[in-house]
Amino acid sequence: MMVEVDPPEVEERVQILLVDVGSVTYGVDASQVLRIDRAEASAFAHPALGHLREGRRALVFHTTSGEAQLKVDAIRGVVPVAFDRLRRMPAAATRSPLAVGLYLSDDRPIVLIDLPQTL
Amino acid sequence: MEPTPLQRALRSAPERTHAGQARPEQEFFCFRLGELRLGIPSQSVLEVFRAGSLTPLPRTPAFVLGVTGHRGQVLPVLDLLRFLGKGESKVGARTRFFVGSSGSFVTAVVADSVIGLRRILTSDILPPPLGGDASAEHMLGVFQPGARGEALALLDFGRLLQLARKRAVVR
Repeated sequence: MMVEVDPPEVEERVQILLVDVGSVTYGVDASQVLRIDRAEASAFAHPALGHLREGRRALVFHTTSGEAQLKVDAIRGVVPVAFDRLRRMPAAATRSPLAVGLYLSDDRPIVLIDLPQTL
Repeated sequence: MEPTPLQRALRSAPERTHAGQARPEQEFFCFRLGELRLGIPSQSVLEVFRAGSLTPLPRTPAFVLGVTGHRGQVLPVLDLLRFLGKGESKVGARTRFFVGSSGSFVTAVVADSVIGLRRILTSDILPPPLGGDASAEHMLGVFQPGARGEALALLDFGRLLQLARKRAVVR
């Protein structure tokens, strides 16, 4: 007898790089990050993300005019996030293109930022 | 035959009582925030929960304290003191958030403490003070419970939330 078996469901996930700016943890799409480096003189800070403590690390990402470096304080690592933990930004909160959405780590929202929008 | 007093009275009696319509009342969710005692129509309030973690958002006005997660939902958190220009709330271990809604917009709002639900006769609601500050535009009115009671400022939550959303997203 032939029995058709459904293929096991593959939980879709996205890789999120967690970084700290001051006391706030943000998430960025890990695929946007070329590498993590020491912040060079050309690295920039984004005031809307909060005050940096030291900003010695930088996320290097690709832009149309080459590479750019966003200063951060600490790298927490990459976490795989299931699609069902992702949330759109609430309509009443902000429409800033910098914050593209959120993901729920337990019940704590982590703001996801779009690196090209920091320029 | 001359009608009896009862028959005369019955002829002019209404078909049904209008007592309920003559004294309509509205239920308000009442809470303290800073020095204020505020009330909003209870149908706008979904639930109250203890303040949890608060994640700040980039590029939002000061009255949006950030977002919080609750039952798998992400809610923006509003500080009405900041919104009304009456100071700043301090979110601590005893702070409560209540979930308020208007249309499709749902938000958490900071409350220092919850007073409870109160039914108020519509006729007892006084109009917002004339010549008051800008916060008067968000008020349905004021309720003064007796000479010694503290006044309750009753807010037009639907209007307030619509305006807060506009201010939050037009940046």
